[in-house]
Amino acid sequence: MDELLSPEQLLSSLTQIEEAFRSDIAKVATLADLQQVRAKYSGKKGLVTAKMKALSSVPDPVQKKEFGRRINELKNFVEDSLKGRELLLKEGEQERRLLTEKIDITLPGKSVQFGRTHPINQVLSEIKDIFVSMGFGIEDGPEVELDHYNFEALNIPRDHPARDMQDTFYISDDVVLRTHTSPVQVRVMEKTKPPLKIIAPGKVYRCDADVSHTAMFHQVEGLMVDTDVSFGDLKGVLELFIRSFFGKDTPVRFRPSYFPFTEPSAEVDIGCVFCKGAGCRVCKTTGWLEVLGSGLVNPRVFEMTGYDPARYSGFAFGMGVERMTMLKYSIDDIRLFYENDLRFLRQF
Amino acid sequence: MKVSFDWLKEFVDVTVSPQEVAHRLTMAGLEIEGMEIVGSDVVFEVNVTPNRPDCLSILGIAREVAAVFGLPLKMPDMVVKGVQTESTVTVEIADSDLCNRYTGRSILGVTIGDSPQWLKNRLEKCGIRSLNNNIIDITNYVLLELGHPLHAFDEDKLHGRKIRIAKAGHNRSITTLDGADRELSYDMLLIWDGKDPVAVAGVMGGEGSSVNSDTRNIFLESAYFEPTSVRRTSKALGLKTESSYRFERGTDIIFLENALNRAALLIEQTGGGNIHQIVDAYPEKYVERPVEIAYDRINSLLGTALNKAEILETLQRVGVRTEDRGEKCIAIAPPYRRDIREYYDILEEVARIYGFDRIPARIPKTALSDGILNSKEVSVGRIKETVRKTGFTEVINYSFMNGTDLELLSIPAGDSRRSHIEVMNPLRQEDSLMRTTLLPSLLNNFRYNLSRGTRDIRLFEISKIFVDEGGQLPKEKLMLGGIFFRENMPSVWKDETPSFFTAKGTVDCIFDEMKIKGQSYEPSSEAFLHRGKSADIVLDSVRIGFIGELAPVVVEKLDLKISKPEIVVFEMDLDKFLSLAPDKLTYVQIPRYPAVERDIAIVLDEDISSAKVMSDLSAYISGFIEGVELFDHYKGKNIPQGKKSLAYRITYRASDRTLTDSEVEDVHARLVDYILQKTGGQLRA
Ligand SMILES: [Zn+2]
Repeated sequence: MDELLSPEQLLSSLTQIEEAFRSDIAKVATLADLQQVRAKYSGKKGLVTAKMKALSSVPDPVQKKEFGRRINELKNFVEDSLKGRELLLKEGEQERRLLTEKIDITLPGKSVQFGRTHPINQVLSEIKDIFVSMGFGIEDGPEVELDHYNFEALNIPRDHPARDMQDTFYISDDVVLRTHTSPVQVRVMEKTKPPLKIIAPGKVYRCDADVSHTAMFHQVEGLMVDTDVSFGDLKGVLELFIRSFFGKDTPVRFRPSYFPFTEPSAEVDIGCVFCKGAGCRVCKTTGWLEVLGSGLVNPRVFEMTGYDPARYSGFAFGMGVERMTMLKYSIDDIRLFYENDLRFLRQF
Repeated sequence: MKVSFDWLKEFVDVTVSPQEVAHRLTMAGLEIEGMEIVGSDVVFEVNVTPNRPDCLSILGIAREVAAVFGLPLKMPDMVVKGVQTESTVTVEIADSDLCNRYTGRSILGVTIGDSPQWLKNRLEKCGIRSLNNNIIDITNYVLLELGHPLHAFDEDKLHGRKIRIAKAGHNRSITTLDGADRELSYDMLLIWDGKDPVAVAGVMGGEGSSVNSDTRNIFLESAYFEPTSVRRTSKALGLKTESSYRFERGTDIIFLENALNRAALLIEQTGGGNIHQIVDAYPEKYVERPVEIAYDRINSLLGTALNKAEILETLQRVGVRTEDRGEKCIAIAPPYRRDIREYYDILEEVARIYGFDRIPARIPKTALSDGILNSKEVSVGRIKETVRKTGFTEVINYSFMNGTDLELLSIPAGDSRRSHIEVMNPLRQEDSLMRTTLLPSLLNNFRYNLSRGTRDIRLFEISKIFVDEGGQLPKEKLMLGGIFFRENMPSVWKDETPSFFTAKGTVDCIFDEMKIKGQSYEPSSEAFLHRGKSADIVLDSVRIGFIGELAPVVVEKLDLKISKPEIVVFEMDLDKFLSLAPDKLTYVQIPRYPAVERDIAIVLDEDISSAKVMSDLSAYISGFIEGVELFDHYKGKNIPQGKKSLAYRITYRASDRTLTDSEVEDVHARLVDYILQKTGGQLRA
């Protein structure tokens, strides 16, 4: 056995092992091959392991030291080579496995198909968000409303020609389908002390139907009341709103008009979004589109709700959500909103 | 209203283009909605708001042009010169509250004929057809030009050559110019001759006294009728005329005399005749109404810094007389501006003539409003998003329905959905009731989409319904309604879940999203639902809605032309639902010790509902059971006829330590015994 070998022989046997190992490991192709090579050299009964055991029987301390150093070198070499090889093999093996697990990534995903929000309500949310960010609260009121709130308290008495401005659905002589969201103003003023900053979105009804009118549509009403509210404030708030909604370069103009519950009253026009002001069919060649009605609250409305017009002033405004939506998406027929065709609704 | 630019220029020497005039008028509140070139003239389409009847004429528009451009106004000849013979007609006003002033002139010996071409052209440009009768054409001409309605009677047909202005009184009718017999009511104001009614005051003349080609002598009327009275009469008769339109908005009680003279002169000019003296009954004299306003009030309300001179000059331009009183001024509106009655009317005049565009915009300094966080708004938004994310698309429907909708659904008498309110004047008879359920609209949406070839129809709506509960106004309730239909969608990834359960999953998601627990599904008695596949949604013993497949009998009536469709519908009362939502959420500590899971599969009678088994399992008292979850439901092979298998996963956990195996085995064994005994089932082999 080994103890019979001279130191020279011993060293040369290590060289032989090293060479044999080099040739064996070069032939390794699989992890199983590698396992065999590992057993042959560094296993419990491996060749390198056996040399380690033989070390103890070397009597000469100098020789023993030299011999030990060489064996350690060999052992480290063998182990590093095995490790390196194993890593390479594992990578390759995983690579092959991943290839067999390959899927057709172009198949469609199994998604949850979300539904859509009605475009009117999308635009309504956008409008609400803008006003809420300016500190307006949101209020609600009945859709079937007393004539008193819909007309009388808004300075539209029974025999006033202004009643012709709105075709009204009647439930009885005193009860109507609200023709605008303005009655919410009155209801809120009756129960809340100023200052006040609210919007009231909701459905309204008019006895009228054609390409540009439906019997029901949506409005957003706004009201702000405080001790020092001016026409300049009205302009500031509505310009800010319009630029948030239609874009910051949108031209805006305020033009005198008439509503019984505001005075002075103003229509608010924006530069035509279709022709950019050049004049087209939609804007009747004027280059402007009407989007909002507004004005300083008529002191008579304050008197009727118990606010002191000498102390408080305010402004009110109202807009049609269908109209805003039509302008935003270039929709040319208002009736599309109420046909509820999924091919339409799924576009938004 | 149509306005000829050439005609306008007779009243005011405007030198700028019609476009510029249109723009400036629009920016002063007289919206020019359109412009049309007619020959060498331009015709404006003017939108006159109801508060400005003074603008319903060429003169009225000219006054605005003069004010806006700071130009003088030129008036036509309105004075009948010379000495005239006394009037042959007598006038008496019986109801002076309804007729404040009545003037007239006899013109005797006129020649009736065609009107001159220039006059016809002007009428036509402004939208009035010439009637080949110079008298009638001239009354129309003056109406357009000066805004005051006139009426010409055939004087020879006036009984006793008398005019009396009085109410209709009892049982009267009149045949108006248009040949129609009109029923009159007691309070309607009429013009009478010595015997009969000859005109409905301010609305339309009578046929009997009308001017025709044989007329020789006429009596021309120019009067002031009380606006409300004219409006009521015109509405009651369903008769709207150019005259009534102006009278009901208010006419100029002073100027009406000029209009009378202008017409008389034109008649004389085109048809000859002899103009007689004016008869003028004027019992209710016009009273000026001075308005006081402080200059700084104007500036603080407008957000401007106008000085006194600017304000006074602006007011004078629109014909308002002013008297400066230091800090304030007294303003007196002209008689044609009856809309100016209060300080804010003055404010409006200043603002619109100064120009809205010159008022600086500012961002208000103001307190925040409370109520920004409208919790209902937020909750409804979350519900809407939840339903949408489970695949439903939102619809918005009209709030109307009709009686046959409720018949189709076999809604029984006495059901609250029968307590509907009705619209007195619907656009269509089908839209005469206010909805008490969202279902009929959703069924319409479904049919509409199906007929257009769509086969994946999942729709929902959140809207109010209206239930008559006896109050003055109906009760408005916010409802969520949905309809679910998917016909074998071609998809790589199959989903075999029955429609009922997919839709029910959406309902469960809403509960989960809103953190509302304890909903139960109990057999529903809705007649329009499939008896075996429908449920009432119950929360805290309150029925808040239903879900179910449409009953075959209903589906049949819908006539869908597809075989055996599975259509699932649901509807929930969101007000009730949200009232049961917890208003506060409190954090629960995350468990610190591990859980142990054990499964149990029971074979039992198929009539026992899974909810029953679940509630039995949940009722079992043990401090260790943390959760029970149904994970399998099976009928078929290896399970006897009439039975089913339900499998549950039980989670055991202690809050203060790790449970030992034997502890778990012990409690699980007891639970198994309990549930088998409770359900009469057996463990599945
Ligand atoms: Zn345009």
